[in-house]
Amino acid sequence: MLKCALAICRKDLTLILSRNAGIMQALLLGLLLVFLFSLSLNTGDALSPQAAASMFWLATAFCQVLIFNMLYASEELCGARSGLLLLPAPVQSVWLGKSLAGLLLIMAAQCVFIPAVFVFLGQHLADGFLPALAGIVLGDLGMAVSGSLFGALAAGRSGRESLLSIILFPLLVPLLLAGVRLASLGIDPDPLPGDPLRWIGLAAAFDAVFTAAGLLLFPFVYTGDES
Amino acid sequence: MNRSGTAAAALAGGLAFALCQWLVFVYAPEERVMGQAQKIFYFHLPLAWWGLVSFGVACAAGILHLVKRLPRHAQLADAAVEVGMVFCTLTLATGSIWARHSWGVWWTWDPRLTTALILWFIYAGYLALRSMPMPRARRASLCSAVAVAGFADVPLVFLSARLWRSIHPNVFAAQGGGLETEMAVTAAACVLAFGLVWLPLLIIRYRQTGQQERLDDVMLARMADEDDPTEENED
Amino acid sequence: MDSRAPLIVLEGVSKSYGALPILKGVTLSLRPGTISILAGGNGSGKSTLMRIMAGLVRPDSGTVTRNIDPAGMGYMAHDTFLYPALTAMENLLFWARAAGILSPEARAREALSATGLARRAEERAGIFSRGMAQRLNLARLIMGDPRLILLDEPSTGLDVPSRSLLREIMTDFRSRGAAIAWISHDLEEDSGIADAVLTIRRKTLSIEERSRPC
Repeated sequence: MLKCALAICRKDLTLILSRNAGIMQALLLGLLLVFLFSLSLNTGDALSPQAAASMFWLATAFCQVLIFNMLYASEELCGARSGLLLLPAPVQSVWLGKSLAGLLLIMAAQCVFIPAVFVFLGQHLADGFLPALAGIVLGDLGMAVSGSLFGALAAGRSGRESLLSIILFPLLVPLLLAGVRLASLGIDPDPLPGDPLRWIGLAAAFDAVFTAAGLLLFPFVYTGDES
Repeated sequence: MNRSGTAAAALAGGLAFALCQWLVFVYAPEERVMGQAQKIFYFHLPLAWWGLVSFGVACAAGILHLVKRLPRHAQLADAAVEVGMVFCTLTLATGSIWARHSWGVWWTWDPRLTTALILWFIYAGYLALRSMPMPRARRASLCSAVAVAGFADVPLVFLSARLWRSIHPNVFAAQGGGLETEMAVTAAACVLAFGLVWLPLLIIRYRQTGQQERLDDVMLARMADEDDPTEENED
Repeated sequence: MDSRAPLIVLEGVSKSYGALPILKGVTLSLRPGTISILAGGNGSGKSTLMRIMAGLVRPDSGTVTRNIDPAGMGYMAHDTFLYPALTAMENLLFWARAAGILSPEARAREALSATGLARRAEERAGIFSRGMAQRLNLARLIMGDPRLILLDEPSTGLDVPSRSLLREIMTDFRSRGAAIAWISHDLEEDSGIADAVLTIRRKTLSIEERSRPC
């Protein structure tokens, strides 16, 4: 299963990184969101850390939807979905492979968003950057496993981008709240009181629930029945 | 439950509702701070409870459908989500009125209210997915998957909403503890009465969904009969 | 196990979409070293039957028994299963790795030369003509060295040389003991090599065995 998942991940990364302008769209959309939000500031002002952290995760969430749409749309082009389903490995390998590819792509996109948050939204690094980093890693993991499950659900539907967003975003709320609160610790010199460990625990619980959901539900979502 | 059972439950629900009106407006004492507006609590609480139960039923029906692949479980999940959405919408409306009266705003980041709103969004997504054009069996399994994943998310949503606000004074601290006996009795009666309304609603809607699918089947079979099945055309 | 034992057996398989029955009580078996052509009008359920045999679609009732592990099955349809942005070689390498085939590069090279694509290995599949794309798809099938081969109208829209290449390769597989089920668009040409013609009429199957013409 792992071998097959790695093959799928490798193929998807080749497809998206070297042959496809799609990843640029996702990056640009995220950057644009961060930049447009900086327009709400007066000259010389800085955005509150929590608002800046929210913008960061909002950009990531939009990026996630576009990335998982791309990852699953490539299978519909020439009917490769049937081929994947017939591979002599559990169907969950497809979920795992796409999760991995999505995770790497989201992290790559964030390498662009993080400097943008500092530059456009006037933020400075603070003491709490370790929990912030943990929040980013756990948040990305949760986005990858849930995006891979629901991206498969929206694959091949008309209007799949909007369908994926309206199903995914409400489910992501707990993860986004944890991500925002933890990320704001990393840029807030005067953080809100509260235990970051509880937020880290919540994000980890989200990852666990949606990993389980992915493993259990994926075979029902990704099928060869004519759709 | 058969037809007369449903009718009996609906009738009992109606009577219980009437009794509740008396309990709410005559029996229960008026709350000192909130006055008359506090009475909306007796509607808000049962609506929220049974809405949540609805989504739980949808989750259970979704699991059953994925395991057994019987259309009737998917129909039950559909019916439960629809009824749950009605209850959830009313929960939000009553909660909003409450918030306006007690804190002067229509919306506030209260964990319970926020959870209800996010649930509303999750299951609105379910209904949007259900209205997409696709084969029935496929739609049923996709919707079941969303019902299951959505309900699994509920505890996380509630926890995160509570954690988010935990640094601010908990405006609801007094509400749970400070309930007088008459108020508690009234609230319990209201929960029961709403349950008796909820159950027949769910059953009727479940039956309707099943009948609708059967009608569609009959129409499809008619259409199939009309093009002669013996005629085979090679292109 | 008896080497003549059927590789796949379908018993009483029925399938309907909603109230619309597609197949009713279909029973068939495919033995090693045979080619069975599936015939029937448009919308007669040939494709659905093929997808049920492959395990892509679950039948409403009846059983499908495969006496072969999943890696030994090859499926080729009208869809080419290719990624247009990848080169021919990259496409094959992906499918080989995902299927856990040993020494994928050597196998991919072999398959490419068997289908006459060796010189096009580094070209993107997106610029291939229908015939070449389908030959690449055939190369994918060959890599797995399948013993049970399901062909769902692969030759529709193919040029004449590609079609005869397909026939050649399939007769070769048959001589090495593969069981082949084939939906063909081109009955007149392809039924020449068939050992049996299975026809779907009124949602069920009638079987006509033939003696091999050679």
